Amino acid sequence: MNKNEYIKKLAEYIHDLPKEVSEEILYDYEEHFRMGMEKGRNEEEIAVSLGDPKNIARQFIAENMIKKAENTTSANNIIRAIFAAVGLGFFNLVIVLGPAIGLIGLFIGLFAAAFSVTISGGAIFLAGTFGPVFSGGYYIPFSPIVSIPLGIGITCLGLLMNIGVFYLSKIFYRLSISYLKMNLQIITNRRSK
Amino acid sequence: MNIQFKKGVLELCVLSMLERRDCYGYELVNEISKNILISEGTIYPLLRRLRVEGFVTTYLKESTEGPPRKYYELTDLGKSKENSFKNEWFSFVKNVNNFLKGNKV
Repeated sequence: MNKNEYIKKLAEYIHDLPKEVSEEILYDYEEHFRMGMEKGRNEEEIAVSLGDPKNIARQFIAENMIKKAENTTSANNIIRAIFAAVGLGFFNLVIVLGPAIGLIGLFIGLFAAAFSVTISGGAIFLAGTFGPVFSGGYYIPFSPIVSIPLGIGITCLGLLMNIGVFYLSKIFYRLSISYLKMNLQIITNRRSK
Repeated sequence: MNIQFKKGVLELCVLSMLERRDCYGYELVNEISKNILISEGTIYPLLRRLRVEGFVTTYLKESTEGPPRKYYELTDLGKSKENSFKNEWFSFVKNVNNFLKGNKV
């Protein structure tokens, strides 16, 4: 592979990075070739000692995704970071994707649970308050005296659970980023060995 | 060699090299690969990370031969990182050496 082929390949692989980032990266590698040639090495030789452009691109991409997820908290960013990390190797399919799917499932479940508790509190409140008026023959086990405070109480409990789950998910978000970073170090090591 | 280990060592070498003087990318690769076997391409992702994390900054400097070169320079944060990293390394090596000698007896 000569200089142009190498740079072109690298450019293709890092195409999705922000333009100013990818331009800078390409500049660095072009400079590297130029310097190497000044020192009397040929293009093929330099390309070989630089290593596979695909692996190099992966390191930049994963690094960039994780950085992004770290700076702006969003579900989309963390998922992209997870997939960038998964893209670094089959090994990661198990190490990253497995726990990630488990955690995402867990949080969907927790949010659903908190949400249903909130709703059911509302339902008890409404049933207790308006039930006696509209109940066309339905049996309502609570009198309004019990169901109104009970309904309000359960709604509040549900809201608290929502808040709790929200904070918990934030903590896990941060933990996931540290985990991805650690993972990235191990993976890039495996590549650079 | 242990991979985690090598990665850390590469980072330490880059920091230490920059502590002595500002370097451009190729120079760093060249100096380090004289002593340690590395895949040359991996030093640029490392330099980028160091810069994003605020340990180094870059500037362009004219050269007598060809276009300007991109030089890397340690920040204050980078200097203190280099210092603590180096101390950590020396005490680590000392302890490991002591251990190894102890085991041979």
